[in-house]
Amino acid sequence: MAINLNAFLENYFDAHHCDILSNQNGVLTVQLNEKMDRALMNRPFYWHYIKKMGRDGDPMKLTLITNQDSLEEKGERIHFGSPRLQQILNHLKENERFTRLFQVIHVNHNTALQPWLVVNIKLSYIGKHKKDEVFSIGLNLINGIMKTEMMESLYNKEFGMQISDFCYTITPIIKPLSGYKRILSVMDQYIQDLDHEWAKESHEELEIEIDMLKHFYQGAPDEELEQMEKELQDLNERYLPKIHLKVVNGGIFYLNGN
Amino acid sequence: MKNIEIKKDVNFIETLEEKIDHDGPFSSWELFKMAYDAELITITKDFHGLRALEFLPHMSFLPHQIETAKQAIEEMNGRAILADEVGLGKTIEAGLILKEYMIRGLAKKILILVPASLVNQWVKELNEKFFIPAATFRKNYPWDSYDIIVSSIDTAKRSPNREIILEQHYDFILIDEAHKIKNHKTKNYEFVRALKKKYCLLLTATPVQNQLIEIFNLVSILKPGHLGNYESFLEKYGRDRKKINQDAYLKQLVQKVMVRNTRKDTSLDNAKRHIETIWVDFTPEEYEVYNELDRTFQHASAFSKITFLRELCSSREACYLSLQKYVNDEKNYGQDILQPIIDRIGQLPHHAKAQKVIELIKQIGDEKVIIFTEYRASQLYLQWYLQQHGITSVPFRGGFKRGKKDWMKQLFKDKAQVLIATEAGGEGINLQFCNYMINYDLPWNPMRLEQRIGRIHRYGQENDVHIYNFAIRNTLEEHIMKLLYEKIALFEKVIGHLDDILAELNISSFEGEVKAIMSESQSTGEVKIKLDNLATIIQSTQHAWQEESQYGN
Repeated sequence: MAINLNAFLENYFDAHHCDILSNQNGVLTVQLNEKMDRALMNRPFYWHYIKKMGRDGDPMKLTLITNQDSLEEKGERIHFGSPRLQQILNHLKENERFTRLFQVIHVNHNTALQPWLVVNIKLSYIGKHKKDEVFSIGLNLINGIMKTEMMESLYNKEFGMQISDFCYTITPIIKPLSGYKRILSVMDQYIQDLDHEWAKESHEELEIEIDMLKHFYQGAPDEELEQMEKELQDLNERYLPKIHLKVVNGGIFYLNGN
Repeated sequence: MKNIEIKKDVNFIETLEEKIDHDGPFSSWELFKMAYDAELITITKDFHGLRALEFLPHMSFLPHQIETAKQAIEEMNGRAILADEVGLGKTIEAGLILKEYMIRGLAKKILILVPASLVNQWVKELNEKFFIPAATFRKNYPWDSYDIIVSSIDTAKRSPNREIILEQHYDFILIDEAHKIKNHKTKNYEFVRALKKKYCLLLTATPVQNQLIEIFNLVSILKPGHLGNYESFLEKYGRDRKKINQDAYLKQLVQKVMVRNTRKDTSLDNAKRHIETIWVDFTPEEYEVYNELDRTFQHASAFSKITFLRELCSSREACYLSLQKYVNDEKNYGQDILQPIIDRIGQLPHHAKAQKVIELIKQIGDEKVIIFTEYRASQLYLQWYLQQHGITSVPFRGGFKRGKKDWMKQLFKDKAQVLIATEAGGEGINLQFCNYMINYDLPWNPMRLEQRIGRIHRYGQENDVHIYNFAIRNTLEEHIMKLLYEKIALFEKVIGHLDDILAELNISSFEGEVKAIMSESQSTGEVKIKLDNLATIIQSTQHAWQEESQYGN
């Protein structure tokens, strides 16, 4: 997925209520607030002492240069893979895991909003090598309808933390916990149906290397067998195929219509 | 489907329900969406390929480096010996492999064991080039709580470190100069074998030095049994290192765990090097001062004398400044003899080499030229002198901050004709757009010359490169040029094995060796003979090497 890094950063700081001081030719300057200074600037002692002295403190300004051709010298160059961007992405992933949102609609008559459980899931397939896959699944907590690519269908809608005027919510019939279980069982089915050639290859490699290892220690004295056990464990660690299912984030969305 | 362990996130829904009960706190739509996007842009969609390349846009990797990283990961499953010839970038390959495992989330706990003298350099390179937050081992970064540690093997194997390290489950272990642990009877070897590890890289330019069993020992760290067990290996191959060339099967087996790139098979030589020695004569006044300085110091500190003479061969300014400093230091003798010389240096006309530089640049025409000098004073002088002749130039020093380096490079590319650099240390700065290089003075360490040339003669250089090496006749520059560079043919043959050769000859520093010869000799004749001897030994070892080092791929 390609993103416009400059716009991404501007949205990020904007969503965290930081003032954008300037943004030109891929050079973005932002005035951090205290919360973001604490999150990004890595100076806990400063905040510790300033608070001890009973002062407000001065959050820093941050200049981020996304335009690699820019000759601007003052500021941090930021690009995919740079520590600052990794920090920001991790900050997002760690902090924005749960939500409850109401679709913003402008109506002047009573309108019902239906509750959906939206769960974004990452599957990691780990064997000799590793790959990930992301799913976004929505489950209507009234009628049990399930949708994939849920986030994509929500992208162009507007949501707020408060419910819009004239709107009311319908109480879920399905509990979030049971909804979540249904989603997991769909994922289980999906995993079952996949062709797991990767896992087979990984198992085969493991068998080959275990055989070699045993040959290596053939006739070895007992005290070396401990070392062999350790190496067997290392091999299992490296080759035994596994799948990790991790929830990226999720929450309850109140949507208008189906 | 059977035999696959599945691990699921169990806490998510409970936490969500709790938050609903407590009415938050919840993420806004904007941030929620961005977190999802953050995941999408960081996931690894494919089992194959190198994602690390996208993460390191500031690095320009050579094709063989990328190929090596892929091979080590995809075919060797993360356990490999990287045995490139010196100068092809084993460190870079290792960094790329490590980065890939980190990005894929497969390596978190990492131990990097390197010679003590290289610890800081590794930390610096991993941080600066790869954004890998490696740290030097210190007492306040305990082994068990800090994730990426660089240490010397001696520190690591000492108690109590040893016990703590052996407790850890490392995802990734890297050992530089791995030929030092090739002997299975040593404590180092035993220690490395005992580490709990998933992925493991061994870096060495010389995987087999004396006996074939050495390669067996290295491979046994990575893949015990791959070459059979100890007895069967000895029985089959004995101890003769030449056998590896004769036995195609063994060679094939070794290639499954070892990557070895040589200069010959990398595409570095597409653009040709044209190397020319430019002989310069001092003016009579300059020779007079040079000889006087030489005589004056005959019985004083020989070490300083060499420095002063070298400096005088570079510029009046370089020599003047350090002589002045020497005189001002009250601990030194001979102020009264030196002061007149200093005064004479101050009155010398423009330096013969500097005049030659102007002549040469005019001859080259409009092309970009990079000039390397050993001294900062010469750098400043040259910049001024070029300007007097209407030639624009920018300075470059290893000590510049990253941003300033980039800025100078940009100025050189867009505005100035000449870049004057004091050291090749500007690694990571690539100047392929420049095809002309003047080595205003020669370094005494040929590896450094190779690094200099590497700035312009590297992958991506499409034109032939022209290199001019300056030397002043009848000075110590002449000895260095004739006896070292020309005799060993260092200009023509890329230096390649020099490191290995020096190691085999037990010479730890080439530069130190040359300095010792210069300072311990009583006469010019003695200097010549000794340098000549050194060159001869290197030359013969070089031949032996070329014949033997055909193993590996």
